[in-house]
Amino acid sequence: MAARLTRRQLLVGVGITALALKSPSVFADLAGGTATSPISRTVPSTGESVPAMGMGTWITFNVGNDPYLIENRTEVLKTFLDRGGSVVDCSPMYGTSADVLGKALKALNAHDQVFSATKIWTADESATRAQAESSRSRWGVGRFDLLQVHNLLGWRGHLETLKEMKARGEIRYLGITTSHGRRHDELARIMDTEPLDFVQLTYNVLDREAESKLLGLARERGIAVMVNRPFQGGALFRRVQSESLPPWSAEAGVSSWAEFFLKFVIAHPAVTCAIPATSQVAHMRQNMAAMYGELPNESQRQRMAAFVRSL
Amino acid sequence: MTDVDWLSYSLQDFLMFGPQVFLRLFIRLNQDVWPWQLLIVLLALVVPWLMCRPAPALRRLAVWLVAAAWIGSGAGFLVRYFGEINWPAVWFGWSFVAQGLLMAALATFCHWEAIPKGRTRTFTWLWLTGVVALPWLPVLQSGELGALAVFGLTPDVTLAASSLVLAMMPRVLLWSLLPIPLLWVLFSAVTYWELQMVWLLLLPAATVIFFALGWWLNPSLARSRDLRSVHRDPVRR
Repeated sequence: MAARLTRRQLLVGVGITALALKSPSVFADLAGGTATSPISRTVPSTGESVPAMGMGTWITFNVGNDPYLIENRTEVLKTFLDRGGSVVDCSPMYGTSADVLGKALKALNAHDQVFSATKIWTADESATRAQAESSRSRWGVGRFDLLQVHNLLGWRGHLETLKEMKARGEIRYLGITTSHGRRHDELARIMDTEPLDFVQLTYNVLDREAESKLLGLARERGIAVMVNRPFQGGALFRRVQSESLPPWSAEAGVSSWAEFFLKFVIAHPAVTCAIPATSQVAHMRQNMAAMYGELPNESQRQRMAAFVRSL
Repeated sequence: MTDVDWLSYSLQDFLMFGPQVFLRLFIRLNQDVWPWQLLIVLLALVVPWLMCRPAPALRRLAVWLVAAAWIGSGAGFLVRYFGEINWPAVWFGWSFVAQGLLMAALATFCHWEAIPKGRTRTFTWLWLTGVVALPWLPVLQSGELGALAVFGLTPDVTLAASSLVLAMMPRVLLWSLLPIPLLWVLFSAVTYWELQMVWLLLLPAATVIFFALGWWLNPSLARSRDLRSVHRDPVRR
């Protein structure tokens, strides 16, 4: 016997359908299947899986001793972890960011939930261990998962010490970083000759110099790639502020500009994770949404890049 | 790092904090200092009255108050608050303290001329503008009343208003007191520009304007201008 549909049932049904079409990510979280699984990548040197969306702390976590802002950043970190994030990157260069991160981790009791990555940033090549220890104590972690030489500063001396530290189990991975597309040739030479686990570099829909050499080299040499400035330091949002997403972006698994920029980055086969930074919980939610659902294919990525260039 | 690498950095790369965090410094300071702001503002309002009195002791007292404002904003806002998120602020903070001590010493040991009678009103109005109107710029920038930048507690307003007093200094002494204000004006203007805090950009601009106007009020310069005008006067000649 066919059941009759009441007007109330019809309206509720239409409402739910409209909501599902408007906010697919809400329903994706509730449903089973691939949409609920965070996109992850493998660290080539060990085969360890890490979430493709990390968190940077440049500028955003340097809030000093402001209790209000520390609480706010703790919420940002909580949102990141709740949505499946793990990789957190910092540097002694970023002022009080490491202290704030340490306080947030303590408040959330989340030291074991993070893949802790920081950098060595000093021209004194004999100060590697001292700075690593200072950072470790500020974060409050037992050891760092990843230590990187910041912007190639004093890289020869630091890298030798990092190799020793890795051999003794004091860190799990070592790496080297650059940003803003600087010193790519020198970085390529280091990648060619040194046993790196990670490199960190700038890559986004507009800054694509890394594609010409470094990303291919990373794949060839089995080096994980962490991407900084995926939003070009926020400039990409300013570029599209009066623009709507192109109608074809849904086909690329994109429902916001943050997803647009981040999915462009993590869809590159050489990229292990992106580390966008934000000070707002709402923005963190948008960032983390990029770690779910479909990723654009290569032709869609080209279309995305061409679209942003044309604005 | 090579020279070419340095050239690839923008000024923004050296600012490790955002506008929200900077403006929160004013709010935190005001919360921590409350209610002493009321007394500090009252003392600041007395400065023009003291400066315009004929008695040298009162002018000396006015400069001591201004010197205390430099010390307060340097050791307080710059070292204790801003220095947490931006290490150059600590150096500026101690420079402000040194500047305050130097001003106090100069006021103690040097002769300080009174403002010419016809210009006391101008001085008073300018001073009141600096101490009463300029503090609202961070409020306009942040939209929060708690971000009021009080004279004697925050560097830009202190410098803007006290540049009127600085410009009153005997010319020989003035040069020794100019480097730190000039560096701070440059530093704060670049910071506010890079952080795109348009309202706050008016603070270094006000400092330059106030100094120029204070220069015009300077007693010794006013006297030399008067003398020049006497020489040019064909009737007197």
